[in-house]
Amino acid sequence: GKVISGDDKQPLPGATIQVKGASKKTITDNAGNFTIQAGNNDLLIISSIGFTTQEISAAQAGNIVLAVDTRGLGEVVVTALGIKKERKKLGYALQEVKGEDLTVARESNVVNQLAGKVAGVTVIGSPSGVGGSARVSIRGERSVDLNKNQPLYVVDGVPISNAINGGSGSNNMEVDFGNGASFINPDDIESMNVLKGAAAAALYGSRAANGVVMIKTKSGRKQKGIGVEVNSNLTLESALKLPEYQKVYGQGNASGGDFAFVNGGGAGMADGTDEGWGPAFRGQLYPQFNSPRTLNGEAIPFTGGDMNAPAGSVITPTAWEPDNNNLKDFLETGRTFTNNVALVGGNDHGDFRLSYTNLNQTGIVPNTDLKRNTTSFSAGYHLTPKFSARAFASYIKSESDNRPSISYGTESIMYLFNCWLPASVRVSDLKRLWQRGLEDRQQYNWNYNYHDNPYMTVYENTNGQYYDRLIGNVILRYDLASWLNLQVRTATDWSSERREYRRAFSTQRFPFGEYREVNIINEERNTDFLFAADKEINSNFSFNATLGGNQMRQTSRFTEGTAGQLNVPGVYRLTNSRIPLVSGQNNVAKRINSFYGSAGVSYKNKLFLDVTGRNDWSSALTLPEDLKAFGTEQNSYFYSSVALSAIISDMVKLPSVISFAKLRGSFAQVGNDTDPFAYTQTYFSTNPFGGSQVYEETDRLSNLNLKPEISTAFEFGADLRFWQNRVGLDVTYYQGNTKNQILNIPLSNTSGYTSRVINAGAIRNHGIEVMLNVTPIKTKSFAWDAYVNFSHNRSKVLELRDGLTNYVVADRSVSIEARVGERMGDMYGIGFARVQNSDPNAPYYDATGEYTGQMVFAANGRPVATTERIKLGNYNPDWLMGVGNTFTYKGIRLSCLFDIRQGGKLYSLTQTVGREGGIIKETLEGRADGYDMSKPGNGVVGNGVVQQADGKFATNTTKVAVREWHSAWTGGRNIAEGVMYDASFVKLRELQIGYTFPGAFKKGLIKGMNISLVGRNLLLWDNVPHVDPEVMSYAGGTALPGIEYMSLPSSRSYGVNLSFKL
Amino acid sequence: CARDFSEVNTNENNPTTVTPDLLLSGVIRNMMNAQVNTAWGIGNIVVQHHAKIQFVNEDRYLWGEQNSVWDEVYSNYRNLQNLFNAVGTDSTNPYLGVSLILKSWMFAVATDTYGDIPYSEAGKAKLEGKYQPKYDTQEEIYAGVLADLKRANSFLAISGSNLNGDILYGGGANALLKWRKLANSLRLRYLMRLSKRKDVGAEMTEILSNPATYPIFERNEDNAELEYFSSAPNQWPLYGARVGSFDEFRVSKTLSDRLTALGDPRLKVFGRPSQRSVTAGTPKIEGIPNGLSDVNALAYNGGVQGVSRVGYTFACLVCNDAGQAAPDPAAPRALLMTYAELQFILAEARERNMITTGDAATYYNNGITANFEYWKSIVPPQYGIDVTMPANYLSQSGVAYTGGQADKLGKIALQKWVAYYFNGLEAWFDWRRTRMPAIVPGPSNLNNDRVPVRFIYPQKEQSLNGASRKAAVDRQGVDDMNTLMWIAK
Repeated sequence: GKVISGDDKQPLPGATIQVKGASKKTITDNAGNFTIQAGNNDLLIISSIGFTTQEISAAQAGNIVLAVDTRGLGEVVVTALGIKKERKKLGYALQEVKGEDLTVARESNVVNQLAGKVAGVTVIGSPSGVGGSARVSIRGERSVDLNKNQPLYVVDGVPISNAINGGSGSNNMEVDFGNGASFINPDDIESMNVLKGAAAAALYGSRAANGVVMIKTKSGRKQKGIGVEVNSNLTLESALKLPEYQKVYGQGNASGGDFAFVNGGGAGMADGTDEGWGPAFRGQLYPQFNSPRTLNGEAIPFTGGDMNAPAGSVITPTAWEPDNNNLKDFLETGRTFTNNVALVGGNDHGDFRLSYTNLNQTGIVPNTDLKRNTTSFSAGYHLTPKFSARAFASYIKSESDNRPSISYGTESIMYLFNCWLPASVRVSDLKRLWQRGLEDRQQYNWNYNYHDNPYMTVYENTNGQYYDRLIGNVILRYDLASWLNLQVRTATDWSSERREYRRAFSTQRFPFGEYREVNIINEERNTDFLFAADKEINSNFSFNATLGGNQMRQTSRFTEGTAGQLNVPGVYRLTNSRIPLVSGQNNVAKRINSFYGSAGVSYKNKLFLDVTGRNDWSSALTLPEDLKAFGTEQNSYFYSSVALSAIISDMVKLPSVISFAKLRGSFAQVGNDTDPFAYTQTYFSTNPFGGSQVYEETDRLSNLNLKPEISTAFEFGADLRFWQNRVGLDVTYYQGNTKNQILNIPLSNTSGYTSRVINAGAIRNHGIEVMLNVTPIKTKSFAWDAYVNFSHNRSKVLELRDGLTNYVVADRSVSIEARVGERMGDMYGIGFARVQNSDPNAPYYDATGEYTGQMVFAANGRPVATTERIKLGNYNPDWLMGVGNTFTYKGIRLSCLFDIRQGGKLYSLTQTVGREGGIIKETLEGRADGYDMSKPGNGVVGNGVVQQADGKFATNTTKVAVREWHSAWTGGRNIAEGVMYDASFVKLRELQIGYTFPGAFKKGLIKGMNISLVGRNLLLWDNVPHVDPEVMSYAGGTALPGIEYMSLPSSRSYGVNLSFKL
Repeated sequence: CARDFSEVNTNENNPTTVTPDLLLSGVIRNMMNAQVNTAWGIGNIVVQHHAKIQFVNEDRYLWGEQNSVWDEVYSNYRNLQNLFNAVGTDSTNPYLGVSLILKSWMFAVATDTYGDIPYSEAGKAKLEGKYQPKYDTQEEIYAGVLADLKRANSFLAISGSNLNGDILYGGGANALLKWRKLANSLRLRYLMRLSKRKDVGAEMTEILSNPATYPIFERNEDNAELEYFSSAPNQWPLYGARVGSFDEFRVSKTLSDRLTALGDPRLKVFGRPSQRSVTAGTPKIEGIPNGLSDVNALAYNGGVQGVSRVGYTFACLVCNDAGQAAPDPAAPRALLMTYAELQFILAEARERNMITTGDAATYYNNGITANFEYWKSIVPPQYGIDVTMPANYLSQSGVAYTGGQADKLGKIALQKWVAYYFNGLEAWFDWRRTRMPAIVPGPSNLNNDRVPVRFIYPQKEQSLNGASRKAAVDRQGVDDMNTLMWIAK
């Protein structure tokens, strides 16, 4: 007989045919054919994963069409190590995102697209515009080390690198060069599976403690014959949310005087200042940087800002007007054009897929771009019926001539726009970069005291990245018996990256320019073997087991050279250095060897028990030879998991509304090691002083007695379907504990060191995830599907060791601390002093209680700061929810996804410094009519009380001048409380409307064609002024959530996607 | 399963041991750069050598945390501690004596800045597992500092001369004597500072009466100062500043008034004539009062053109006036202690009869003369700044060593204050002891007309060494900038 798939009417290999009541059994070959000895009256049971099991009499055997299991219960999912399993057998939560959901409404960093689509996953993308990195955390935070909360990324069963290499150093500010996963080409992805819990991930070992994002690449397996698939996508990007600046007052310093440009450095009237506290715009005439110059009454081709204009030339005053759209005009419409063409082919023996993708992106920041070419090849072949081979290779060449600098400082354009660019400066006039006749040597600008021309910043002071990466694997599989196979795999992830930082002459912080080149080579190799057995013991029991081993080798080599000053402008080579080159090098290696295995028993296909175990040996926990005698070493560690699931609906009779019910539970441990070289204490060299070489000891204190860290987790869940699967509900509760965390804990530097590596701490996180799928309407031609992903997570610090009561996770304007007994992600900072009536001995005690809670102001009208840091909130959301709806009517498909975040706080540096500079719209408060304090509406009276000499309180009535007020609000960048915001938001994350051309069309050359209009991040509702709450700042390669540090505007994108198959 | 793992996990990027000279050079450079940066950031401001016209928080005593002294001292002490570990107790090893001098100076600066601080248990995390060092009292720290300086002098008297990495005095045998002079001169500085609390006359006398055993600075060439290079990266630390940032700091009216009154040409080193006065053809140095509000500071005297910039000698690459060449980044030096300062210490000690050697007026005049000569030797001739002491300078009534003892001490304090220009926080420490010359808080100060007398402890200590800090605060008084520390009481 021959078994045919009811789906695509193609032969179905691997289907099981069994004679009912007997042990006789066979499977179909690659062409779907089988032969089995049976009597004509015997019944044959034909089953295959993903299809409804069918019984037919042997006499009827011929072409047997197996219907697809529409309940989706037989759905096969890829689990750890690439092992395929039926979803219903899983004892843990796993959620899948299909490849087509990634390529239609797309992002250049594919990781961003997990947001809202997978319950329990938090994604914070960097708004650097062009494929920046994304911080993913699954089920909240387990580690107080922010870098340790990222999931493991796995391609075709083999881990890849997700390294973030910091973009700062040598006086360069932070640049987001993307994380490893951001370079993966979405067009080559068939599906992404998110393994959330430890049980799901236990077989992956150490790095999977925070979950796994498993990427399965596309193949030609479904193809018969040769086919061509084409996908074209064009999207345009524009800023989703722009800061709001005041457009009433121009450059100045609140003196109430006029403005006059002389040298942009203070020689004129307020022309040295960079703040927006100047005269109101009334169309009056002032000499400005862009005003024309005349010499002896004759026009000359120089303007105010040309400091090399002929002596005696005069600046002709021009109208004092606001540049109403300065940032909007500066930013551009980003364009992303992605084209993918894939050649696929397959027959009974093998398949292949050759794919080429070209991504060409320009960002919303001028002169930022990303060009990424990905060529992938995937092929499989059945060499014999028992022996098959597969290989996948993807070569990624990514080039960016400029990625924007982020963070606070002169290299960041948002530093300029949000804080120090008065509305009177017409930005478009700065497109001329150089002073006339001083090209490449002296920039042309509105201010020569502090700032760089923003166009020079983006066009000349570039941060280039040239990145090559090869990801490849080879998989050999041999069927030793019908129930036993051996798989051998080897995989490489190799990348070579060059970064070029160019700084032009006359840049404020690099008067002679600078050139810095960084080279990073990362390699990770994994080689493993895996025996897999799957045997039916009798009609009630079946058994499966795996046994495998893996060797992981990681190496990375970092070298850099810096020409701190250049000889000749415009020549960006290390050889053009005016001063001795500064170099750096760091080579790192790590190895982990592992053995692991699993065993599973299923009873009557309704009760499933799985156990796993793994032992790792890590080089990072191995003492170097010369330190062996001084420490204790534990470089081998074992951990295990157990998972149980039961199909209740197959075991007991349930009310008919319940079409399916499954309960699952699991318990797992995952061991973890640490970064290489944690044991060694070294000295590093710094710039020599003349002929004297200089070394300093690293300020991190090593520890020779590190133990592996162990996280344990359990989860319970239920998968329920109602009304013939029209409603599906999946609920999971989980709890995890991480113990013996290997942490680099901060030390008081009085001890001589600023941090120490220890085993410390216990963090517990727990939460729930709910996935709800509903099909409210389903008719022959119309369907409405809806889904909701909801998650809620809490992480708590149970214990820190060695008398530690708190751990400073990060300190940047506010401090993110883990304090024993408190939540992870709590933020502390200086607050406003407030009246209290609980402690008579503490300051601002009000026995009457009348003023309790009111802000205290000093006699001069300024808010009083607390002396100690206080808790200002927590950056973690209370809950996250994604709500998606899909409507299909014949060939038309409309889908939308809303992403909702409730709770969590954000510190805004834009608010702090934008107020100081008089730039943002809040600074209009207190200057209704200029700066004359005698006029109404000028100056601000803070809302609170003043403590009098007798200790009593009275309402504050002191008016503070406007410029003073707005910096007093933060106590001169000291008080954080006034600039903390609720980061809740609702985002229209995705909207698509697509049309698949009807069947008739398919009969021609073109087999399938779809055209879609797509949009991402289209609308945002939030309460944070000026910035998208979904931002983060970067410090040395670590993403800091909850802190906004001059972030670039996030972008909305909209475009069109066209795909067809030949 | 773990074969070769030891080798894989061996860090070959950097050495695990280094020779003392490689550490010594770094400690000296870092600490001397810190002297310049601390002086610039706050030292020159609080004693009113300079005033701010923009970002005026420091000048208005809105200080918040000031952690640079703390961080520099303790992070460099780590390297110094490694030096001690390498040298052991071998008193003939010159690195021991030199390191003791540096340690003494660093901890004296730190305790003078913050009060009680970790000292006896500091820097001991690696060898003794002390992660949360206790704060010692200032009295104990001063005792340790003085004892170490004395030991250092005696060690160096008998030590070998194989000293490298000495970027302060150039190493070798010649340097050893200069280090001893520094040790004894610093002892005199700290004894004087201690004189409010203790009778230090005997110890001072012991030093002065045995010049062979206790050599002290004898001329400017003995000054403990760091010379910079003309090319990056070891240039004058402010050389890379943005012009706007540099120009936020201007000549204080206090400095310009006091020096103008004396016809003191050193003012031409410290400041430049205001640009407006230059344009008008009547160049004059016009300082700005300290502690003005944001608006008033920028508007003072008709705006920034009417306020003198800080001296050309100390300027950044692009901080030259119109028509001027870029300044020489190798000209200005980082100061630890000068011969002039020592002379003023001796003048005061003699005046107050703490010592009987020498003559107060001579010491005093030596100090003034030495400081004039110092600046004369520092300022490159092409700058065209004549720092020659005017003929009648020492004899004019504002300078002449005449009057009652209070007058004389006031004159010493004034000249010492001038000589302390750009020397870390030393002028402030000394003012805290003598309250001379007067510091009048600016009109818009935010500290109720009080001049701050200390820095608050770094806020991170609340988290990282909370119990030790709390014990110190309980002992010393509330952790704010107005709490007077033991030595200044």
